[in-house]
Amino acid sequence: MSRLKLEGVTRRFGGLVAVDDVSFEVPAEGVTAVIGPNGAGKTTLFNLISGALPPSAGRILFEGQDITGLPAHKVATAGLVRTFQLVKLFEDLSVLDNVKVGCHLQGRAGLFAALLRPASARREEAAVDARARELLDFAGLSAFADEPASGLPYGRQRMLELARATAAGPRLILLDEPAAGLNTEESAALSRIIRRIADDGTSVLLIEHDMTLVMNTADRVVVVDFGRKIAQGTPAEVRADPAVIAAYLGTGKPSPDPAATQEAAHG
Amino acid sequence: MTISPSITSPERRPFRLVGLLPWLFAAVVVGYAMVVGGYAATVVSFALIYAVFVTGLNLFMGFAAQVSFGQNAFAAIGGYGSAVLTATYGWSPLPAMVFGIAAAVLAAAIVGFPALRLKGHYLAMGTLAIGLITYEITVEWQSVTQGYLGISGIPPFGIGSWEVTSDRGQLVMLSLVVAACAFAAARIRRSRFGRALSAVAGSEEAATALGIDVSRYKLMAFLLSAGFAALAGSLFVHVVGYVSPEVFGLHMVIVTFTMLYVGGIGTVAGPLVGALIVSLLPETFRAFKDYQDLAYGAALILLLIYAPRGLASLFAPRGRS
Amino acid sequence: MADWSYIPQVLVSGLGIGCVYGLIGIGFCVIYNASGIVNFAQGAFVMLGGMITQVLFSRSGVPLPVAALIAIAAVAVLGVAIERVVVRPLWNRKATMFVMILATLAAQIVIERLTLIAVGDQPKTLPVFTDRPPLMFGSVAVGYQLIWIVGGSLAIVGLLAAFFGLTRTGKAMRACSINREAAALQGIPVSRMLALAFALSAALGAIAGILITPTQYTAFNVGVPFAISGFIAAIVGGFGRPFGAFLGGLLLGLLQALAIVGFGAGLKNVAALSVLLLFLFIRPSGILGAAK
Repeated sequence: MSRLKLEGVTRRFGGLVAVDDVSFEVPAEGVTAVIGPNGAGKTTLFNLISGALPPSAGRILFEGQDITGLPAHKVATAGLVRTFQLVKLFEDLSVLDNVKVGCHLQGRAGLFAALLRPASARREEAAVDARARELLDFAGLSAFADEPASGLPYGRQRMLELARATAAGPRLILLDEPAAGLNTEESAALSRIIRRIADDGTSVLLIEHDMTLVMNTADRVVVVDFGRKIAQGTPAEVRADPAVIAAYLGTGKPSPDPAATQEAAHG
Repeated sequence: MTISPSITSPERRPFRLVGLLPWLFAAVVVGYAMVVGGYAATVVSFALIYAVFVTGLNLFMGFAAQVSFGQNAFAAIGGYGSAVLTATYGWSPLPAMVFGIAAAVLAAAIVGFPALRLKGHYLAMGTLAIGLITYEITVEWQSVTQGYLGISGIPPFGIGSWEVTSDRGQLVMLSLVVAACAFAAARIRRSRFGRALSAVAGSEEAATALGIDVSRYKLMAFLLSAGFAALAGSLFVHVVGYVSPEVFGLHMVIVTFTMLYVGGIGTVAGPLVGALIVSLLPETFRAFKDYQDLAYGAALILLLIYAPRGLASLFAPRGRS
Repeated sequence: MADWSYIPQVLVSGLGIGCVYGLIGIGFCVIYNASGIVNFAQGAFVMLGGMITQVLFSRSGVPLPVAALIAIAAVAVLGVAIERVVVRPLWNRKATMFVMILATLAAQIVIERLTLIAVGDQPKTLPVFTDRPPLMFGSVAVGYQLIWIVGGSLAIVGLLAAFFGLTRTGKAMRACSINREAAALQGIPVSRMLALAFALSAALGAIAGILITPTQYTAFNVGVPFAISGFIAAIVGGFGRPFGAFLGGLLLGLLQALAIVGFGAGLKNVAALSVLLLFLFIRPSGILGAAK
C-alpha cells in the first residue's frame, strides 16, 4: 500500500484553480520530489496535504485512511509532519527544547502530569530528553543544545527544523523547499540527512527548486505546472520529458535549472 | 513574538545563584512584614494576593503569549462567589472558594471558546469587554451584590472551627498559597504541557504542524489563568472581609499588567517580584493616593518602551535576551 | 416598567448620542488606517474636549465658542504629544499590537488621573449652545443641542469626506491606509501622516466631547465608556471604514436608547458591550465588512 495517495485533489481560490485534479502516490520507501515553476501550485498542494487548507474536491488518503479536510494537528497526529518554506522555529526556546516540542506527539503527559510529576511522567520526560539529544546529534547540533534557537546561523536553523519534524516520529515527512538559502556544502549535507531519514523508514515528500538536490536525492519526481500534474517518473525520465522541458519556458535545457525557474516565475 | 522571553536552561550553573535572588528578595520582604506586622503585613498580604492573580495572568500571557484585558472578570466571579455564599448564605469559606473558582472557570470556558478565536485588537477589546460587563453586573445586580455599597461581614478564611484571623496568620497562609502557585508555574514551564504553550507562543503554525492542538492549549491556559484569578479574588474578600465592584475594576487590569511587566513577563519569579515591588513602592508616598494610578500608568508606559522584558532585563548581560 | 409610548422621543435622543459615538469611531479608524494601531486613549480626547472647554468657560470666563476652539486645538496637540512620547518609540521598536494597546490604555489612565488631580472628581457640565425651548414635532421634542450635535457631526463627516477625497494630504493618508510600504516608496512621509492622524483623531474626539457635554456631564472618568462605544461603532461599521463607523455609531446610539427603555439606564453599558461581543463572536467584520 502506498503511504500517501492523492485522488483528483483540487483547490480553487475564487475563480483561480491553484491545484487542478492532481493525483499521485507516494510509496512507503524513499524520497519523492514535487517540482515545478514558481506559482505552479506546489505550496498550495502541501497546504492541502498537511491540512492547513481544505481541498475543494478530491480525496487524500494517508496509509489508506481518509485525511481529507482534517485539521492540521490531526493530520500531524496521524503521522504526517511538515516543515515550512520560511523556517518557523520557536525562537525563544533553546535548540534542545525546540526538538522536545517536536516530541509532543510521542508523549501523553498533560496538565496534571506537569503539576504532580508521577513516575510515568518522569520516565516520559527522561525518554524525551534522550531522544531529543540523539536527534540533535544526528543533525549536528549538539554543541548548540542550550543556545536560543534564534541565535543559530540560518543553515543550522534549517537543520533544527528538520530535526524537530523528525522528532515527531512521522511516517511521512513533507519538506517545503528545505534547501532554500543553503550554500552548496550545506545543501549536500542536507541531502545526506534526507537520505538517512528515508533509509530509516520515513517516506519523504519534498518540494524543491534546487535541482541538484532533487536529482541527487529523489527516487521519484512529480512535476506540476499551472496546478496540474504534467509528468511523473524517475529523475532521469522526468529530465527527458518534453512536457517538462516546455513547462520550464521551453529552454531546451536537459535539466530545468533554478535560474530558469526563477525567470518562469517572474515572466 | 517579543513578549515571551527565553527559558533559561537550568543546566547553566552561573545563573543558578542569580535565579535565586528574586525568591530571596520575596522571602526578605515577607519575613520583614511578618516581624513588623500591622500595616506592613496588610500591604504585603495584598501584594501576595496580587501575585496569585499575576501568576495566572503570566501563564496565559507570558507562557502562551496570548492577550486578555479581562481576567479581572474571573477575579470578580471568585471574589463575589465567596462573598455572597459566605456572607449572605452562610457557607463556610472553603466550599465557597471552591464554588467561586469553579464558576469562574466555567465562565471562562463559555466566553473563552468564542473569544480565543479572535485576534489582535478584536481579542483585546473582546476580553476588555468581558471584564467591563462583569464590572457593570457587580454594580447593577444589587439584590445579590448590593451595588456600590458592597458586601461586608465576609468571614476570614478557615477550615471548620479553625480560622485565620491574625495578620501574621494571613501572611503565612498567603505565602503558602503563593509558593504553591509559583511551584505550579515552574513545573508547568518545564513540562510537555508548558513546552506546548511556548510552542503556541512561538509559532502557531509550526506548533500545529507538530501535532499540537493550538486552540485547545490556548483554552487550557485561559482556564488556568481564570482559576488563578478567581483564587486571588476569593482570597481578597476573605482577607479584607469586604468587597465592592471597584476592587475588580479597570484599575486592577492596569495594576496587574504593571506588576507583570515590572517583574518580567514569562518568567516564574516575575509575578511575585512584580507584585511586591509595585505594591510596596506607592506606600512610600502613600499620602498622595490620587497619584498612585498615575504612577502605575506612567511606569507601565516607560517599562513597555524601555524594558519590555521586565526590570530584571535592564541588568541582564547583553545578548542574553 | 417600560413605557413604549416614549419610543420616538427615545430614538431622537439616541440619534444624538449615536452621532457622538460615530465621531469617536471615526477617530479610531483614522489612526488605525494610518498606522494599524488601535488607540485606546481615544476616550481621553473626548473627556478633555468637554473638560477643557468647561474649565475655560466657567472658570476663566472665556466665551463658549472660543473656549471650544482652544480646547479642540489643545487636544489635537495632546494627540500629537501622545504619538511622539508613547506611540513613536514603541512603533520604532516594532512593538506588538498588544503592547501598543496596553501603552495607549496606560496613557488613557495617566491623562484621566492628571485631570482628576487638576479639576477634582465633581461632574461638570456646559450650558446648551442655543438656550431655547425645544422644537415640537407632534409629541416629540427636539432640543436645540440635539440639532447642534447632529448638524455638527454631519458637517464634520462632510468635511472629512472632502479632506480624504479632494486634498493631497487626505489622499496621502488614504494611500497609507491601503499600503504603508508602497506609500513610503511614493515619497509620502508616513511618519508625519501618523502624527497628523493622531491630531485629527484627537480633534474629532474633542469635538464629540464638546457637543455631548451640555446634554450630559463630563468628569475625569467618562473617557473609557465613550472610547468603548466609539470602538463598538467602528467594529459594527467594519473596522477601518470611517463612514461605516459613523453609521455604526448611529445604530449603537439607537440601540442603547431602546435598551434604556427596555431594561433601565443601569444596563445601557451592558447592552452596548453585549452588542460588541455579539459582533466580535459572530460577525467581526462588521455590517459592511472590514476595510482590510
